[in-house]
Amino acid sequence: MLNHGLENREYVKLPEGVDIAITPAGVVARSYAYIIDLIIRGLILLAIATLFSFFGDAGEGLVLIAYFLISWGYNILFEMENGQTPGKKRLKIRVVQDNGLPASFSQIVVRNLLRPADMLPIGYFLGLIVMMFNTRFKRIGDWAAGTLVIYDDELQERPLLPKGDVSIPAVSLTTEEQLAVLAFAERHNELSAARHLEIATILAEPLASNETDIEEQLASYARYFAGQLHDNHDHSHVESQQ
Amino acid sequence: MKQTQFVKSNTQSWDEFKALCEMERSESLPIHFPNLYRKICNDLAIAQSRQYSPILVEQINRLVQLGQKRLYLSRSNQFSELWHVARTAFPRALYENRVMLAVNLLAFWGLALIAFIWVRLDPDAAYTFLGQGTLLNIEKMYDPSGSVQSAERGASQDLLMFGVYIYNNIGIAFQMFAGGVLFCVGAAFFLLFNSFYFGAIAAHIVNVGFEGPFFSFVITHGSFELTAIIIASAAGCRIGYALLNPGQFTRAYAIKQAAQKALPLIVGAFLMLVIAAFIEAFWSPRDIANEIKYTVGSGCWAYVLYRLYKGMRYGA
Repeated sequence: MLNHGLENREYVKLPEGVDIAITPAGVVARSYAYIIDLIIRGLILLAIATLFSFFGDAGEGLVLIAYFLISWGYNILFEMENGQTPGKKRLKIRVVQDNGLPASFSQIVVRNLLRPADMLPIGYFLGLIVMMFNTRFKRIGDWAAGTLVIYDDELQERPLLPKGDVSIPAVSLTTEEQLAVLAFAERHNELSAARHLEIATILAEPLASNETDIEEQLASYARYFAGQLHDNHDHSHVESQQ
Repeated sequence: MKQTQFVKSNTQSWDEFKALCEMERSESLPIHFPNLYRKICNDLAIAQSRQYSPILVEQINRLVQLGQKRLYLSRSNQFSELWHVARTAFPRALYENRVMLAVNLLAFWGLALIAFIWVRLDPDAAYTFLGQGTLLNIEKMYDPSGSVQSAERGASQDLLMFGVYIYNNIGIAFQMFAGGVLFCVGAAFFLLFNSFYFGAIAAHIVNVGFEGPFFSFVITHGSFELTAIIIASAAGCRIGYALLNPGQFTRAYAIKQAAQKALPLIVGAFLMLVIAAFIEAFWSPRDIANEIKYTVGSGCWAYVLYRLYKGMRYGA
């Protein structure tokens, strides 16, 4: 079993005998999606309320029915199509089953009918607490329905590394270690020079290299891990684009 | 095998697979698609175990995700499933959850009866339980000589009340369902509160002698409404109880299973409450002789109890 502590990923065992990785969406992305949906719902209701306000008592009754349908049905209606409300679509997240497959109608209904439990005592407090105590960020409704919210796979595109020398490390590294080197190279610009050197020293230690310029060596390894070919610089990312 | 070699020899099948996955859902897949899918899964396993570059692993991972979505396409999700639920799944769920339902039925009617007898024996207790403001309102509503009963209600008022009942009653039922997850506490609290409230008010109305307008009003829709509220509470308790006593399963699995078992109950309760709202808004306030109302009401009660009995006993 792979252990990608570096990335916020979860592994799902398939009947075919392999593990595939999915990325659960966290509190912040889901909150943003919720706020967007809240605004959309509010606008729809406002429009309906304005329209029906000309119809007196009967209009008021219809507004109440619309309020009921929208507050309970909005999420169900959108999520049963492909697991995405407009807010979730904007944030590129979607509801799926625990095993990564599209969620079924009954699961969507359960996870949305149980919202009031997550809202207790106010503003999704209980849901937030429950979400923060499991690695898949499931709220109570997700636990009962057997669903989770994941990032759409498109989002996981890695940034391109600057071109340069490519070299193959003398010892073979595990995927986990390769990822560490890659992430280090990708975040080159976000770190200060001193911090850079510090991390590079830590990473280089297990490689037992006697190279003087550790940083450059790590970068060239990273290019190799990213799929750049060592014999032809112009074909960077050839493998990953094939 | 070197990574480059691995990529070279497989690129063609990966591309073909990707193209197949991105086909329209309505088009049927070629017969070798499952084989191809298993091959891609195999490729992923190889790439993972040989520690190939993370980016390559990620790419194949994505292919497998696409493939399983296409291969294990779930049934199309449709609201027409609701009809199936009402016809078959609901009675069956009544049977499967009969113990939980019986407990909830007993709790509701037992406490309502206690409240009723209590307030009958000690009329002042009603003021302690419900407060004077509430009681005055209710008395005004059911006063046979008062303005509320004799006032002619138009179609628009009926529609307004229909909206109120839909929004309010079904909202409460859903909240009970959700509240049940919290170890049954939410559902049980609402259930017992409503039962006591109902018993106390009924007794108070009898105490002041307004039982005619009151019972002729509530009898018809009460059959569907009260039973649906009890069923909603039982559905919530079912989930909460699975958390308290998961049996041989983990709690995560027990709650998932209980929710699927309880879902037809809440859907059934929802449909019953829609019927109740119709009756309450368009039939109950009609100015019809009480005898007719009692007859129709008894008919509704007989039907609901018969279906409830048949469901809980035989699952049909």
